[in-house]
Amino acid sequence: MCAVLAAEVAGAVLAQYWPILLFMAVAAGLGMALLTIGLVVAPRRPAAQKLSPYECGFEAFEDARMKFDVRYYLIAILFIIFDLEIAFLFPWAVVFDRIGLVALIEMVLFIALLVVGFIYIWKKGALEWE
Amino acid sequence: MTIQLLAFYFFAFFAVLGALLVITLRNPVHAVLSLVLTFFSVACIWMLMQAEFLALVLIVVYVGAVMVLFLFVVMMLDIKVAAAREGFIRHLPVGIGVALIMLAEMVTLIGLRAMQVAPPPNPAAMHGESNVAWIGTALYTQYLLPFEVAAMILTVGIVAAVALTLRHRVGVRHQNASQQVAAVARDRVRLVSMPAERGDPGAQP
Repeated sequence: MCAVLAAEVAGAVLAQYWPILLFMAVAAGLGMALLTIGLVVAPRRPAAQKLSPYECGFEAFEDARMKFDVRYYLIAILFIIFDLEIAFLFPWAVVFDRIGLVALIEMVLFIALLVVGFIYIWKKGALEWE
Repeated sequence: MTIQLLAFYFFAFFAVLGALLVITLRNPVHAVLSLVLTFFSVACIWMLMQAEFLALVLIVVYVGAVMVLFLFVVMMLDIKVAAAREGFIRHLPVGIGVALIMLAEMVTLIGLRAMQVAPPPNPAAMHGESNVAWIGTALYTQYLLPFEVAAMILTVGIVAAVALTLRHRVGVRHQNASQQVAAVARDRVRLVSMPAERGDPGAQP
């Protein structure tokens, strides 16, 4: 009895995602169909000149895969950290009215700890691009 | 139920395929993109297990942010395509060994018996609640201390990232916005009163 009810409830939860599954199927199908049509229908006459690398009228000086500056990495990792902070805010916002003032205090503490890190970043000048 | 099972096999197939492509593709950037495929498929599997919040966070954090970081790392390391390929066979036994150890750890952690009995019903759905509300209630009442410790760990991560990667260049010219706004005409332009001069009327300017 309990198992049957659980299965029904699970089906009800997953049924909400049915349109998303359909959407994914249509998106994947459309993408593959367009690529396939292009591959089949479009004329392809490759030539050495057409396929050669081209950069503003002269031969390319270097490989396109060059070294990136490490500061892109810094920006990305700071983005991930604050992204995680925002991810913690979503369940908090959902249950905020149920827990009340305690929830507000604990989230203020959480964000205050991260603001310490943010002030550190700011004062160190890590956000300045130069 | 059959659709769920079909969807599970579909996503599981692409998760395994993506993971295999990660270690076999020659181009590191393509390997990172296959890792995106793996993460996305695993997120769909989690969604099938009704872990909605975790599935969406996996897409937002891992696919959206961590993979961008991986791409930057791949770009920064400047790996030559042929050089990355060289040690594949030589390192393969070590990789398989690590994978087997991880598998043994997971089996001991979850237990083989857990695969034979039916999984317990989803507690959140049984109480008529959403998965997010269930996680939120547990996280902000029962697991309050780990939550605040997470903030500490994130702050430590910030400090470590800044300390490891921040390099200041010398001799860089900056634009100082407040100084620009505070500028007044008196400091920039000197108005001089002088008598008009008569130039040569024939001269062209």
